[in-house]
Amino acid sequence: MATDTHPGEHHGHHGAGRYWVIWGALLVLTLITVVTGRMHMPTFGLMLALIIATTKGALVALFFMHLSEHQGLNRLFFAVSLLFVLLMLAIPLIDLGTRYRYATPPGSQYSDMQAIDIGANAQQGRYGGNQKKPTSQEQSEAH
Amino acid sequence: MQSSASTAGAPAAPVPRLAMHFASLEVQDNAARLGMWLFLTTEILLFAGLFICYGVYRFLFPEAWAASSRSLDLTLGTVNTVVLITSSLTAALAVHYAKTGKNKAVAVQIFLTLLMAIGFLVIKYFEYHHKFEIGTLPGRYYFYEGIQLPGAPMYFTVYFCATALHGLHVVIGMVVLAFAMVRALRKGDFGPNNYTMVELGSMYWHLVDLVWIFLFPLLYLV
Repeated sequence: MATDTHPGEHHGHHGAGRYWVIWGALLVLTLITVVTGRMHMPTFGLMLALIIATTKGALVALFFMHLSEHQGLNRLFFAVSLLFVLLMLAIPLIDLGTRYRYATPPGSQYSDMQAIDIGANAQQGRYGGNQKKPTSQEQSEAH
Repeated sequence: MQSSASTAGAPAAPVPRLAMHFASLEVQDNAARLGMWLFLTTEILLFAGLFICYGVYRFLFPEAWAASSRSLDLTLGTVNTVVLITSSLTAALAVHYAKTGKNKAVAVQIFLTLLMAIGFLVIKYFEYHHKFEIGTLPGRYYFYEGIQLPGAPMYFTVYFCATALHGLHVVIGMVVLAFAMVRALRKGDFGPNNYTMVELGSMYWHLVDLVWIFLFPLLYLV
């Protein structure tokens, strides 16, 4: 009974073998992502890692979580949440990518200003960019 | 919910427990699943917030991101990925056995899942401990001399937020599955008509796995 497989059966019962196959596929994909990730490909690396992760995620959702056999509404919920994740990712990145250069955080790739050093002294973190913490002398001279 | 007093002696054929406002057991199961999926979408969006932080700061500080991710221990990360994927397999097998009413097997599979979850957390503890020692910590607590790049403390802010939230989910998933395991051992009434508890607990566990599948390459491999 356990070895009898009917993949098309609705809410039907599959053999346990199917889970082992998915598990094997997930391990192979993990191996691929580790090997390719260690090559540190400059532009394609992130894309490839995300494609592999999405494939693995799809296997987990469809077969381990049984999304492939659940009702359509479940799939709709899942798809809508992914749509909102993509929107949430795209909008801040479009914003940052098209910003006026001086509006980007100091020290970042798109800024000419010096980074804020918050490691050495917590007080310094309050004065960003090229600004130095005003000394008490300068303050008294200004007045 | 109708209580069934006659189930205790016959674990092989559990009585379906249908709440009176559902038309049939199938409708009840579908409603439970839909509710779980709805909850899981909120979980996905919760983690998505951290992934967006990751994306934004990676975009701003690519060099710090590359350097910091290479400071992580890839071996431990890979071992943790394999452990979590395997624990997902045993969680899926637990549902499989719950559907066939093999309650002992359900308990064994959940026990294996819990063991691997503990293994995952122990490895995570060693990784955290190492970071506290060398000083790759968020924000102003960062004191690692090896990487002095703007944005590096931000990487570890994202790292700690994401892995700690994920770790919390691991613990919650363990508690949920532990309840199912105790039930399989004590009552032993999981069967073809009564496996929702194992199924939904297992779905939660798979979500934890799903999140890690994305966290692992993004944090450790970039």
